[in-house]
Amino acid sequence: MKIVLSWERTRLMHIPDGFLTPPVWAALDAGAIPAVGYFLRRTQENFEQSRVPLLGVLGAFVFAAQMINFPIWTGTSGHLVGGALLALTLGPSAAVVVMTAILVVQALVFQDGGLLALGANVVNMAIIGVWAGYLPAKWLGRRAGSRRVAAFVGGWLSLMAGALFASIELWASQVAPAGALFASMLGIHALTGLAEGAITAASLAAIERLNPGFVYAGLGNPPRKASQIETGDPLARQAAAGE
Amino acid sequence: MAHGIAKTVRFFAIVTALLVLLGVLLASSMPDGLERIAETLGFAGRAEHGAAAWSPFAGYEAAFVESSWLAQVAAGALGVALLWGLGALLGTTLKKRGEG
Repeated sequence: MKIVLSWERTRLMHIPDGFLTPPVWAALDAGAIPAVGYFLRRTQENFEQSRVPLLGVLGAFVFAAQMINFPIWTGTSGHLVGGALLALTLGPSAAVVVMTAILVVQALVFQDGGLLALGANVVNMAIIGVWAGYLPAKWLGRRAGSRRVAAFVGGWLSLMAGALFASIELWASQVAPAGALFASMLGIHALTGLAEGAITAASLAAIERLNPGFVYAGLGNPPRKASQIETGDPLARQAAAGE
Repeated sequence: MAHGIAKTVRFFAIVTALLVLLGVLLASSMPDGLERIAETLGFAGRAEHGAAAWSPFAGYEAAFVESSWLAQVAAGALGVALLWGLGALLGTTLKKRGEG
């Protein structure tokens, strides 16, 4: 078996500079900065103290997982993005902030994703990707039976929504004809999304085994007892905070 | 640290270490979705790599390490450390809420 050593050339995992025209990247940079600021404030106000250790380890895990490409189609690979995973473990606001930190480090240190295009990548993966990954679980995931389905759907939808926004940005920048662009972007990410959904569901299942009742605490579950809010139960508190 | 959180942190720390140490050996070197599409539809050449090309870790490979595996492990370890640090930093900026 040939062991493939990757990254022999500059990788292009996220949108690099040069793909988007100035009006497109400038508008997305301008929109992303206040949006991330808003989610940062929400995180600072609502994030449960007992979950703080997860901020570092899950950011590190998602960064490492994004480095590992797996084959999805002849001559094409995919990798975890992790928006749904972060959203369902940290809550969507903190997930936006952590994913933004990942994208900033990747652009500044590893030359993955453009600096001018950083706003576009943040909008696609940290804002749209995180919220698209979160909403199915918010709507479907309250009962134990539907949680795994919701995590899988969230992972898949997270990639598709991000790919849709990236396609719109690329189309607005007139890089390619709309039909071919949308069909190929959504087609490939529909496949990669299956792996994203599976990894998201498996990761959350692992957390649920290690720490029952923890993963979905923010998904609107009613407090089991009113007293848990006062006693600092993270599940009850986050539900009460609507985070 | 609550007991359950400690277990979850340990689990993800171990998986992260394995990804950095071993995952890079098994990773596919095929282009990913966006790169593939950019090549197929003919706009890959528009990519500009100027802004962060100064980084010795550009392309997830430490330029000063000879072995390709070690170069990637070094880059991965740096990224992991940075993200862990930023997460911890974010944790210190949280507002303390009512004591329960």
